[in-house]
Amino acid sequence: MEFAQKISATTEEIFATMIFLDLAVAEPLTQGKEDLGCHISAMIGLSGDFNALLGIHCPAEVGLAIGGAMLGMDLDEIDDDTKDALGEITNMLAGGLKEAFAAEGTNLLLAIPTTISGSSYKISAPSGSNRIIIPFDLEVGRFYIDLKYSLS
Amino acid sequence: MNHAEQIAEATREIFSSMIMLEVTAKEATKRTDPAFSNSISGMVGLAGTVRGNLSIHLPATVATAVTTAFLGMEVESIDDDVCDAIGELANMLAGAVKTAIDPSGSDIKLSMPSTVYGDTYSLDCLDCGISVQVPFDLDGTEFSVELQLAEN
Repeated sequence: MEFAQKISATTEEIFATMIFLDLAVAEPLTQGKEDLGCHISAMIGLSGDFNALLGIHCPAEVGLAIGGAMLGMDLDEIDDDTKDALGEITNMLAGGLKEAFAAEGTNLLLAIPTTISGSSYKISAPSGSNRIIIPFDLEVGRFYIDLKYSLS
Repeated sequence: MNHAEQIAEATREIFSSMIMLEVTAKEATKRTDPAFSNSISGMVGLAGTVRGNLSIHLPATVATAVTTAFLGMEVESIDDDVCDAIGELANMLAGAVKTAIDPSGSDIKLSMPSTVYGDTYSLDCLDCGISVQVPFDLDGTEFSVELQLAEN
């Protein structure tokens, strides 16, 4: 299924066409429970031929830079605009993955995005699910795209 | 049945049959404060012709008590067992609410559950037209179950 390749291609396309920030993809992490030290995340559920959860996780300054670039405005705190932007990016990423899988005859349906923000939170998925985390580097810092999935 | 009644019935039924705890529904509200402190939230996406999220939010002390009753083992703080139990509980609640909303079983599919926990975190829903939260009393403590649906 080449999850990592689909995720990085979709992310690169969205950043190039919608957000206009240069980014570099780093080596995927496959370990379960990294504490990514992030302050804003957005997640969306996917269902259909397999079950999954797609998320983006950003330290505050990276989330603000991404949201600001997408909205074309300066953001200096994590507010509703930042949350909406990150939620919308997750929605677009999930839509892109859905298309990439549909091209191979694997059908997926999307739920709706939720944003998570705060000074200290952790996110976990059922033990036993697969997880792939891809770090991306922007000038301002690193963010992560995270896909947890179960192929049952 | 409206959504609040569907949530109340599903929650009572699952707590009584799976966890052997009696819970009482209080008056439904719409959550206006996105912030949670020292809590855990289990969430499942609903995808398909109806899109949304079903969540359960519990203060940490209530979550450990519920997990202890659910798994039949003593837990004292939020650990992997609690995350798995609360994620599974969200999954069962989402399954029951899905059956109430979509008796044919063909319109909605559930995504993978996830849990978010921490000292302070906020959860915001993007694109939520409908949002119903039902608080429950459990032996003098409180938790809530929330259904968010996109308007389309």
